[in-house]
Amino acid sequence: MTTPCPLELDVRPQLARGEEPFAAIMEATDRLQPGQSLRLIAPFRPAPLFSVMANRGFGVSDRRRPDGAWEVVFAPLEDAVLDPGLAPGSTPGAALWPDPSHVLDLAGLMPPEPMVRILETLAGMQAGEVLFALLDREPMFLFPELAQRGHEWAGNLAPDGMSYRLLIRSGGPDRAVHHG
Amino acid sequence: MIGKQIARWTMAWFASALCCLIASLGFAAVGLAGPGGWAAGTAMATVHLFALGWLCQMMIGALIQFTPVLCARPLKMPGLSLPALLLTGLGTAMLAAGFLSMDGWVLGQNLLGLAPAVVVAGFGLTAVMLVPTLLAGQGLRQAEVRMVALALIALAGLWGTGTAMALTLAGYNLLPVFIPDALPLHVLLGTGGFLTLAAFGVSYKLFAMFLLAPDRDGPLRKAVFGMAALVVVLVLGLAGSILARGPRLPLGLLVAVAGAVTAGLYLVEMLRLWRSRHRLQTEVNMRWSRAAMICLAMSAALMVPTFRWGAAWAEAAMFLALVGWLSTLTLAQMVKIVSFLTWIQVFAPQIGRRPVPLVSDLTDARFAGRCLGLWATGVAGGTFAIAVGHPLLFQVSAMILLVAVLGLTRELLAIRRLRHLDPARLPDHLPPLVLPVPLRSSSDDHALPA
Repeated sequence: MTTPCPLELDVRPQLARGEEPFAAIMEATDRLQPGQSLRLIAPFRPAPLFSVMANRGFGVSDRRRPDGAWEVVFAPLEDAVLDPGLAPGSTPGAALWPDPSHVLDLAGLMPPEPMVRILETLAGMQAGEVLFALLDREPMFLFPELAQRGHEWAGNLAPDGMSYRLLIRSGGPDRAVHHG
Repeated sequence: MIGKQIARWTMAWFASALCCLIASLGFAAVGLAGPGGWAAGTAMATVHLFALGWLCQMMIGALIQFTPVLCARPLKMPGLSLPALLLTGLGTAMLAAGFLSMDGWVLGQNLLGLAPAVVVAGFGLTAVMLVPTLLAGQGLRQAEVRMVALALIALAGLWGTGTAMALTLAGYNLLPVFIPDALPLHVLLGTGGFLTLAAFGVSYKLFAMFLLAPDRDGPLRKAVFGMAALVVVLVLGLAGSILARGPRLPLGLLVAVAGAVTAGLYLVEMLRLWRSRHRLQTEVNMRWSRAAMICLAMSAALMVPTFRWGAAWAEAAMFLALVGWLSTLTLAQMVKIVSFLTWIQVFAPQIGRRPVPLVSDLTDARFAGRCLGLWATGVAGGTFAIAVGHPLLFQVSAMILLVAVLGLTRELLAIRRLRHLDPARLPDHLPPLVLPVPLRSSSDDHALPA
């Protein structure tokens, strides 16, 4: 079996235009074939992306090229899952996170209200702080938003299937927060 | 893996389906289809624009959007959605045009013969996306996933029986069938099989969410699946026997009874779900979904007596199922789904950064409710017109349905353009109305040799 060629994505032109490349990177990741790597070219070392891609089951290797750009290869990990019982996309090693500093009981709320409460709470949390939320169901629309904002998460359905338990480790206060 | 959770082409699937709905109701309103004239080519074209163009495209678009939510897994190969949409849309148009050959348009015969190949390419790409996603993870252990998988099996049977009839009508001798034998099975596999079972599967999850009701896989849900599987196996067996020119098996009454029991069990479960809801004040989509449920009950109740009462009642039962049950449900939920997805697209990135409106602020629920009420009036009129064989009353009912849909289309446009929000709260850029948000970077990436 041959390994597909890496997909190369150069985000320098986009950044030069002042555009946010995150969506393009996620789109390129979605388009990868099984076993295919993503080679990302960026003008700086895109460290915040490493945890996002780790959540998605990619290992990372990076180097600085002679022209000053950073070349980062995200290679899919063969057995990227994780603690048994965690939902796909969960961060490995969430068991080692500190105890939650914030707890939200979001059972009985109509979507997207749980998502609103979680993101509003995260906006005021420091990097590394952990939020625990109890929900009625898996918040599928929340995950891309967490990834985009640089937060890590791990979650699973309770054994009786009646609630979803979600831990989120803050990646730091939202730089784009506008107060007032 | 977990990516963006809004399927890129959902709005395009919905828009294509709505265009087919408006076209088919327009044709019915000018008398091209109706009681006493279903065998005409224009009527067959109208029926297929409705069943395949509107309902099947709508259901496929919804499944591409919601299968990841049902399975808590991202969709496999989402890039196939656009080709699947184009092929299904083209196949529908070819089929509808092809049926005009029955009214003497000779060129239409070729279209009728080719359309099944185009439609199956669209269905096939859809299956490539949906089936591996449904089977991943918990997969078939979940009731709703099992039901959608069964619906897809019925879809294959729907296509098989349809192809045999289309080829026969087009004059090809590949799968010759006696149309009056194959037609009831084709109708059952489409209406009761694919569309109704997929609606069951999606409704388990969505209704529990919209009503804040406990979502449990109990014995009743297993019984619904067991009965539905029995009906699908029976109908596929009958269809296989007809296609293989085997004996005509006298199982029609058994299928009708089993189908009616399946619908009855499902309705009992939905009634329980409704009663166990924590959200006492329901929204417009759920209020009008009750009307859809009543139509399902009436259609199921008519299934057995039609054996005695004759063709007009069978047609009325089918009208109730396609227009009353499936379309009312789809239109009511469409208002909610479009406003929810639009909210996620526009406001999810703003949460925690600035105040965001409620999802319900995007909709004029009173106007949507009036349109759905008008639709229900058209359903009642159309059913009565078919039962008593009154073409003019049917035309008037089709006009009422058309006006209702044009009103709902106006409301959907208002939701997509955030017209019900205070202009001061509008974001600088709105997402495109129907097409996905363009990916500006896609010209910057390319595959390199390793």
